[in-house]
Amino acid sequence: MDRLSRRDFLKLLRQVLLALSAALGLGMLARFFSRQEATSRPTEFDLGPASAYPVGSRTILPEVPAVLLHTPEGFTALSLVCTHLGCTLEENQDGFNCPCHGSRFGEDGSLRGGPATRGLDTLRLEQKDDRLLLYTD
Amino acid sequence: MTRRLLLLGSAFLLIALGLAWGLEARHPEPVALTPSLTGYVEYCITCHADLPVISPSHPVETFGCVLCHGGERLALEADLAHSSMRGGGNPSALDVVEESCGGETCHGGTADDERDHIQRVQTSIQVTYTGAITSLRYTFGAQPDLLPFYGVSAVTDTSLPSHTGILQLLAFDPAMESSPALQAFGQNCLTCHIGGLPAAGEQYQRLSGCVACHSPASGEQQVHTLTTSLSYTQCNACHNRGNYDLRSMTFVERSDQAQTRLQEYYQPIAQFTRCEYTLDCVDCHTRTEAMGDGDLHASKADSQYIQCQTCHGTPSALPLTRTLSDPDDIAFRLAFLTPVVDLQLGDTILITEQGEPLWNTLVLPDGTYQLVGKATRQFFSFRPVLGSDCTQTGLDQSSASCHACHAMDR
Repeated sequence: MDRLSRRDFLKLLRQVLLALSAALGLGMLARFFSRQEATSRPTEFDLGPASAYPVGSRTILPEVPAVLLHTPEGFTALSLVCTHLGCTLEENQDGFNCPCHGSRFGEDGSLRGGPATRGLDTLRLEQKDDRLLLYTD
Repeated sequence: MTRRLLLLGSAFLLIALGLAWGLEARHPEPVALTPSLTGYVEYCITCHADLPVISPSHPVETFGCVLCHGGERLALEADLAHSSMRGGGNPSALDVVEESCGGETCHGGTADDERDHIQRVQTSIQVTYTGAITSLRYTFGAQPDLLPFYGVSAVTDTSLPSHTGILQLLAFDPAMESSPALQAFGQNCLTCHIGGLPAAGEQYQRLSGCVACHSPASGEQQVHTLTTSLSYTQCNACHNRGNYDLRSMTFVERSDQAQTRLQEYYQPIAQFTRCEYTLDCVDCHTRTEAMGDGDLHASKADSQYIQCQTCHGTPSALPLTRTLSDPDDIAFRLAFLTPVVDLQLGDTILITEQGEPLWNTLVLPDGTYQLVGKATRQFFSFRPVLGSDCTQTGLDQSSASCHACHAMDR
């Protein structure tokens, strides 16, 4: 094997250094992009077949959080996020109450007592191929 | 020459990238939290996951950290993350509290919805220190009467109409005083208000701002907890730790070593009744007495109004009561925040002369009363003066009147 000349050695060394720098730089870029803000909360929920919720049912959906009401008039979804400061509501015997500051809401989402100043938000529902889709945005 | 420079440049680039990688690798893997109230990711719990939730009313998944504390929400390096925190580690410091805790849905609301906590505190005696300033200026001849002119800082009553007629206080400036005593007072004693940092020394240690009262800790010890169940020891962090020597204008720490709660409550020469040392201060004294009622007051005596008769009545009259018929009665909100009683519509509770609910009391069917300690959760029962052997006229309701018969031996 031919002996590596000094010039070729330096050239090789430069290329190795640049390659290592490129690899390190790419690694840092990958690390940077992997640290982007965590994915935001989901805004669409597949609730499964509508037939799973019979007329008269009242289903708490903790992952949303929301309550799904099925009345003879149809489906309604109420957000269980307190309209005061956003705490998750708890169910009680005649509606919902906020464990943070004590706001009270009726079963139909109407405001029963502050500090919240309005009733619960109604969430958008869609029915596709017998599946119920709920949107929080 | 060019090739040599390229080689050197490549080496420097690699070293620089290596150093950057090394520094970056020292940061922890971020743990994200997206509070529902802000919707913005913050990485604070990467390092602070071990902190307890500060109170049931402020769950971290709703409020997060940055909303109250400020800071750089995405920074993973401690100095940078903390660089823009409000009030250092104390967002309740009164110079930043409006930004940290204010807002109309939080603690900066209106008097009508009883959410004007910040405004009330800023005009309270605990912040203005007006009574001490006025009485000292009067004592040392700087003013001819006890009319209040000065507070620790200038403050204006914005919640008109004023029931006291005191519309504003100017900032007390000891440099403008000719009396050496008043100058010394200004130098040594103005730290005795919850808006300022305490003076150096263990005997002065307390927290500042809202947490001066609402933290179960005091002094340099800090805990990530807010409470409305205030033990008397929290009040003692400022009150009852010693006396003020008006000759030297210095604070003289208590020298007695209290062994029991009875001794701890009051200084040796003071008299007291059983309830005064058995209950906690907040079991009788109301939030407007401690936090202010929105008006500027001339002195502590002017703003504190609870007396023995508030709960016990007089020989000729029962104490005032209210039967709770409105689910929005403020009594329910207060009972919710300090859940030591299960108030129900239809319950009859004692109220103060100004109509404030003593929501931790209950009028029992037999005509006696019950009180639950807000900090201790202990049940106490007591009777009205009416129908008892008490011979006082009912006109003099100073504590000395009741102490004459009911003071405890120490």
